[in-house]
Formats: sequence, C-alpha cells, structure tokens
Amino acid sequence: MEEAKYKYIGRSVPRIDALEKATGKIKYMSDLSLPNMLFGKILRAKYPHAKILRIDTSKAEALPGVVTVITHKDVPGLNGFGIVVPDMPVLCKDKVRYIGDAVAAVAAETETIAEKALSLIEVDYEPLPIVDDPEEAMKEDAPKIHEEGNIHLHTEIKRGDVEKAFKEADLIIEETFFTGRQDHTPLETEGGVAFVDEEGNLNVYVGSQYPQRDQLQLARCLNWNPKKIRVVSYPVGGAFGRKDELSIQPILALLAIKAKRAVKITLSREESMIAYWKRHPFKMHYKVAFKNDGTLLGVDAYLVEDKGAYSSLGGPVLNLAVEHACGPYRVDNVHVDGYAVFTNNGIAGAFRGFGAPQTAFAIETIMDIASRKLNIDPIDLRKKSALRKGDKTSIGNVLSTSVGTELVLDGIRESNIWKNREELRKISTKPWLKRGVGVALTYQGTGLGVGIPDYGGAILSMNEDGSFSVRVGTVDYGQGIGTSYAQIVAEAMNIPIEKVKVVLGDSFLTADSGPTSASRGVYTGGKAALIASEKMKKTLKEKVSKLFKTDEDNVEFGFGYVYDKVSGNKVTYEELAKNFKEEGKLPEEEGYFLVPTAEIKIENAFGLPHHIFAFSAHTAYVEVNTLTGEVSVLEGAEAVDGGIVVNRQGFEAQVEGGFVMGMGYGLTEHLAIENGIVKNPNFSTYIIPSIKDVPKRIETIPVINPEDTGPYKAKGIAETVMVATAPAITNAIYDATGARIFSIPATPSVVYFAIKEAESEENFD
Amino acid sequence: MKEVEIHFTLNGKEYNLTVPANLTLLQIIRARIGLTGTKRGCGKGECGACTVIFNGRSVSSCLVLAPKVDGSEVLTVEGIGTFDHPHPIQEAFVEEGAVQCGFCTPGFVVSSYYLLSKNPHPSEEEIREGLSGNLCRCTGYIKIINAVKKASEKLNG
Repeated sequence: MEEAKYKYIGRSVPRIDALEKATGKIKYMSDLSLPNMLFGKILRAKYPHAKILRIDTSKAEALPGVVTVITHKDVPGLNGFGIVVPDMPVLCKDKVRYIGDAVAAVAAETETIAEKALSLIEVDYEPLPIVDDPEEAMKEDAPKIHEEGNIHLHTEIKRGDVEKAFKEADLIIEETFFTGRQDHTPLETEGGVAFVDEEGNLNVYVGSQYPQRDQLQLARCLNWNPKKIRVVSYPVGGAFGRKDELSIQPILALLAIKAKRAVKITLSREESMIAYWKRHPFKMHYKVAFKNDGTLLGVDAYLVEDKGAYSSLGGPVLNLAVEHACGPYRVDNVHVDGYAVFTNNGIAGAFRGFGAPQTAFAIETIMDIASRKLNIDPIDLRKKSALRKGDKTSIGNVLSTSVGTELVLDGIRESNIWKNREELRKISTKPWLKRGVGVALTYQGTGLGVGIPDYGGAILSMNEDGSFSVRVGTVDYGQGIGTSYAQIVAEAMNIPIEKVKVVLGDSFLTADSGPTSASRGVYTGGKAALIASEKMKKTLKEKVSKLFKTDEDNVEFGFGYVYDKVSGNKVTYEELAKNFKEEGKLPEEEGYFLVPTAEIKIENAFGLPHHIFAFSAHTAYVEVNTLTGEVSVLEGAEAVDGGIVVNRQGFEAQVEGGFVMGMGYGLTEHLAIENGIVKNPNFSTYIIPSIKDVPKRIETIPVINPEDTGPYKAKGIAETVMVATAPAITNAIYDATGARIFSIPATPSVVYFAIKEAESEENFD
Repeated sequence: MKEVEIHFTLNGKEYNLTVPANLTLLQIIRARIGLTGTKRGCGKGECGACTVIFNGRSVSSCLVLAPKVDGSEVLTVEGIGTFDHPHPIQEAFVEEGAVQCGFCTPGFVVSSYYLLSKNPHPSEEEIREGLSGNLCRCTGYIKIINAVKKASEKLNG
C-alpha cells in the first residue's frame, strides 16, 4: 500500500474541529452577537414576475425602533451580483423576476420591529405573465424575463457522425428524462453579522465558500475598496454549493454601513428555501446507439436547464452537464445540444455534482436499458466502453491524468450487494414487497476547467511555541479539508498533527486559494500547503545548518525536531522558534499551485474540458412496495477513485453522506414551484432523508489510483460520491419491479404509476 | 407583547428573567443567556437542531414558549460536556467521525444523551427511533449510529 509509509496520510484522523462542534463551543456566523447590534429583515417580491411601479418606505422609516430602511437607491455601486454574470439585483429597482427577489430591507432594534416595518413598506406592482416552462420560455414570442431574452446559454458539441451511428446501430434507445429542483438544505440557513470597525473596514461574517470572491463582489456592489472589506466565512453549517454565490451579504453590508451599527440577519428556513439557490431541474431527451456486442456507437442528447431567474453559475452548470452527458464512456459520434433558460421558477446555481447528477441519471438509465436489451451484464456493458487513460472523452479531450473507470467497476463488483445480488433480490417478506439491485457509474471533474483561474494558495508560519499555522482561503463546510490540510502539513513537516493550527476562510488572514467547489479543496489547497511546507523545511535547514555549523545536506527532520546527522546535535521546533524570534522574525512561507489544465479548449463551451477526474461506481439494494410505490434503500455501496485517500474516516463520511444526499435526490427531493410560488418550503413538506430512511450499511470501497499532480497523489471526491446514487436506485427499482423510472425524484406516486404502466405493457404483450 | 417573569434552572444554574411571553426557550437560551450550542435549523420543530432536555424530556426548544419555562429545569449541550471536560457521547461523536459541518451535532448529542439515559443499551433500531427527530445533511447518519453505539459501550462498559 502506497500510504503505509505515511504517519498521517491515509489514516483515519478525527476532524480537528469536531470536539469544538460536539460541545457547542464553536461559533458559527449565525451564532455571533455584537454589542448594540441591530436586526435586519428583507422584503421579498409579492409576485414572481412583475414591474415595480412605486416603492414607499416612509411609514416603515417612521416606525419607532427602525434605524435604517434601504432600497435600490441605497446601492452605491453595481446593483447586481453573480459569479459569472452579475445580473441579480441586490435590491430590485423596476422589476422582480422571482418570488424571492429582494425589494427593500430594514434594520431595527428588534426582530419584531424589523418584521413590522416590512409590512409598512408599500410597493405597487404590475404583474407580468409568469414564465415557468423552460421550453415555452425559449420561444420567440415568450414574455422576456431579461431584456436580452430568455436563453441564457446555448452550448452545442458535435463529434463524429451521429446520424451514421444510428444507421449502423443494432439497438437505438430513445427516452426523455426529468430531474427535480433539489434544495441543499444545509442545516444552517443564510445568516451572519456585518459592521464597520474603528479602522473603517467593513467586516462581513457570513458563512460562504470563497471569502475572497465575496470580498470582490461586495466591493463592486458597495463601491468600496476591497482591501477594506474583511469577509470571514468559516465555520459554515453546511453549504454543498449553495454558499458559493452571495445571498444576504450585500444587503447586510449596506444596512450596517447606512446604520453605522452592527447588523445581524438570520433567515428562517422558509425564507431560505424560497429565496436562495437550488439545483437546476433538467429535461433531457436522449437517443443512443449501441452495437449488439455492447459498443456505444453514438449519443444524441438535448438538454434544457431550468435556470430560474438569474445567471449565477447556471452557464458553467450547463457546460459541465454537456461535458458529462455521455458518462465516462468512449463514444466517437456525439451531438450534445444544451440550453440554459431563464424562468420565474426561483433561482438555481451551484450544487454538488454541478450538472453531472442530471445527465448521470439519463445516461445511466440508458445503460441499464441497454444491458437488459442486449443481455449483457451491466458492469460488463459499462466496462466495454469505459474510458481509459489515453482515450478521448466524448467531447474530444485526451485523458492524460489518472483514470479509474475500470478500477471502480472492478471494485463495485466485489461489493457485498453485487456479489450476493442473485440471493438478495430473491428475498421476499411479503408478496407485494419486491427487491432489486441496481448499479451506475459516473465521473466528475476536479477543478474549474480550461480558461478559468484555478489555483491553490497557502501561508505557513511558525508560531512562538514551535507549532505551525497554515492559512488557506478555502472553507471547511463539513467536507473535512481543514483536517486534510493539517494532515498534509504534519506529514510534510514531520510533526505531530496537534502542532498544526489551521485557519480557513478569511479574506484578511488567509491566502486566496480559489473557491471551495468543484471537488478541488484538498487538491488545490492541499498542494499549496505541501509546497509551503517544502519551502519551510528549506528555511529551517538553512537555519539549522548555521546553528550547528554543518552542511545543509546533513540536516534532517525527526518527528518534531531537526538534527545534524553528522554530529547528532538536535534542536526542537520550540527551540528553533525561540532562536528565530531572538533574531527578529519567525519564518513564514507561501505556497502557490496552478492547477494543470487540458491542452485543448472546447470551442463555444467555456471552461471545457476538465483535466482531472474522480470516478465512482454506485450500487443500491432496494425494496419496493408495489401497492404504494414506496421505496426503501436497504443497502448501498460505492467504489471511488479519488486518488490516494488523505483521511480514511473523512473519505467514508463523504461517501456515506453523498450516497444519502443522492438518495434524497433520487427518491424524495423536489422543491415544487407552481405559478412561481414555492409550495413546500419546510422540512415537513420538502423531505430530506432522515436516520430512519438510510440503509443499514453503505459500503465504502476506495480504489488505489494515484494522481501524480495531487498532494500525496490525492484528487477530490466530494461530488462524484453523490452523483450516480439516484440512477443506481432507479435501476434497482426496475430490477425489483420491471418499472422504469424516467423522472426523479421517484416519489411513491411516480413509482406506483410506473409499476402500473409496466403491468399494463405486460398484459398488452 | 406581554412580558412574563420566569425562574428556571439551566445547566445547574438558576436564572430569573423577564421576557416577552412569545419568546421561545430556544431564543431565551441563545439570545438571553448567550449559549449558542443549541441551534436553530427550522424554528418549527422539524429538524431537531435545537434539542434540549426540558424537565427530563428531550424537546425541540423552538416549540417551548416562555411561560412554560417558568419553574423548569433545562439541560443543553454545554451542560452535558464541555471542550475541556467532554462527555463520553461527545468523545464518541469525535472518534467515530460523526461530526461534519457540525451544525446538527449538538442536537444529536442531546438526543443521544436522552436516549442512553432511558435505554443504556439501545439496539440499532432503537437508536434510529431515538434520533429520528434530528436531521443531518452531511454524514448520511451511519457514523452517528456508530457513535451512539460506542458511547453506550463507553458509558456502560
């Protein structure tokens, strides 16, 4: 085993912040309280699509206890934010485009007064027709949500000759798929505090995934020097992509600046679910050609993404969906045609998987249909076309980094579920309870892709007591990157992990390491920390060689000390720190790392291709109640290629959590929006998996596949682990009942009617 | 809003407060007493992040109004164990990797404390039943179940 030589890498290391969290000691941003603090509330749109005719805040301003009321007039800079296109108003001026749009905001002495003040703000609207069907929205005569039209992005990729493939095919499968609008539901809603300090710096303490970008976006809205904006974004009570984009921050900042006092905003669950980011629903039409021997000849896919009202990352999500539309398979005849379309259906942005869960559901269902029609074992069928190192992907880039497609398929074959599937599917406790096993394969790009600045940064400094601090801008919102950074520095410096202090997510204190997204946290920040550690070791070597008057080559690192291998003289880090201090300054080193990218660009598809991929194969063992359509997942397994595993415990936690989030995506989760209005904005009606829903066992199978460019040969797994769970489950539903699922979530009614349809087809035959 | 005077014990300490009658126990703990280990995930009794022991029973503190708090005895996550003196349940959550973003963790710790105080050797089914009022979005719950099993062993040998 590669990792056997390491003290920390590959071990199960408990999270460094776990005890602070388990005892309630750690302060999340929504836990912060400041003296003399005000409470902010936001007035949302009354209609999902309407012109604003008049806003009158005078009555609210007159209410005792109200300190500040703000509208679009109070936005000094650009009244817009958005990671790619800043088209989402901080506060709407003349139009609202979804029911969560912000129109005004209040800061008051108490939450009750702020709430009351919102009810006193008068806004006259002229309702406009609601655009809630993306395909209708694409038509020329559809009401326009944005002046430029409703098509936000069109990305089309053609390779080979897909028509020829259909002519040569032995089997053509043509189906239409729908996926749901998943809400991340991090347990901590959007919340935090902002204030201007005595030095004139604006401080914004709101959990997010990229403090330095928040800083720049805020500077643009506020007309403020970014160097005078401190964003602190760790710890975060869950994010999963939701907190990559801004939410309440600009409003919170404006209130604090105008009120000249600290302001706190914490959203209720309902407001959070109505107002902020979601996973884009997709409609996908696929036509796929196979040969009788299982060869994947061609894929023609048409993707329509329901963008919601504003851009955020919807363009890159579409492009990633296009890139991943054909799965991790070799296929030379490809036509993928994707549209991201504005609607009044809330707003959608980044979410774990970023376009891949949608297309994985479609292509992996088709692989399952094909395996049955061609009578080829589903793993063998996938292996037949599985991408290998040196192959061209469906969009035409050559895979030159580590590729684990076959390894994860071999891994899943060895899972308990797959080995015993024949016996497992026969188990029957009641005649109407049917059991089945399904499998699905996926992959996910690590990093941001071609043409997008993609780097890691870390600052490593020696502390007075001989311990070290590593400061990285990425944020640990549950994945465990902070612990991985501590492991990497401890391993590289050869010191006990307790001697590594990790500082994350602070635009003043930490190195910009890019966004905490795209499964890139360990890979980029970890590599930067490793580079900083190597520099630090060199500095220490120089120092110790002078100290012991020996050659630098004779200086070696023991566990927690440095020594001269010739004389045997040694010095602890604590003594070294004292020595440095006496001479003036403790050492500090910075590490930066540019993420390698592919050698080609895909034309008209910004960010494509990706260059480094994680791979995973998922299997699910389910029981379907054929009388009610209810599905229980009895057991799950994932074989995952994330390069060399840094933290075994964290790896398992990601796999288990990702599998269960994928279960929710596959079975229950969809934020229903009717005529622009959210119908289920709470945990009683929007159902995420509970402890009673999860399987007894989720088997984690790491495959060993070193990625040479990564820190200790690691890459990222955070997204791929959830991506193929839904199709593994829906394929298992088919295995159990013969009912094919084309729409997720596969709620009891979806499954029930699919079973009825399968039964009627059977009778018809 | 009418104010009420309330006298109660929280984590062994006595409090006398005058608060609006519609304030919840959760708001009293977080905003008035300043203990923030008890979290608000929904404010409607749906997620369990605000679970505390109230007069010997586990409750969602967001559903308990101020007048009810008068005369009560309350235990929060901070009263179960601290960073310097953690409870075996908290240690088990750390060791088993049952903590990720950690926002739901205090609620799970309190529910586990209640479960194990009533049933020192719960079966896996009983653990699932006992923690079914708490939602977690990170872990997939498997490691939480393992942590409760380990805590049961730690507490009862």
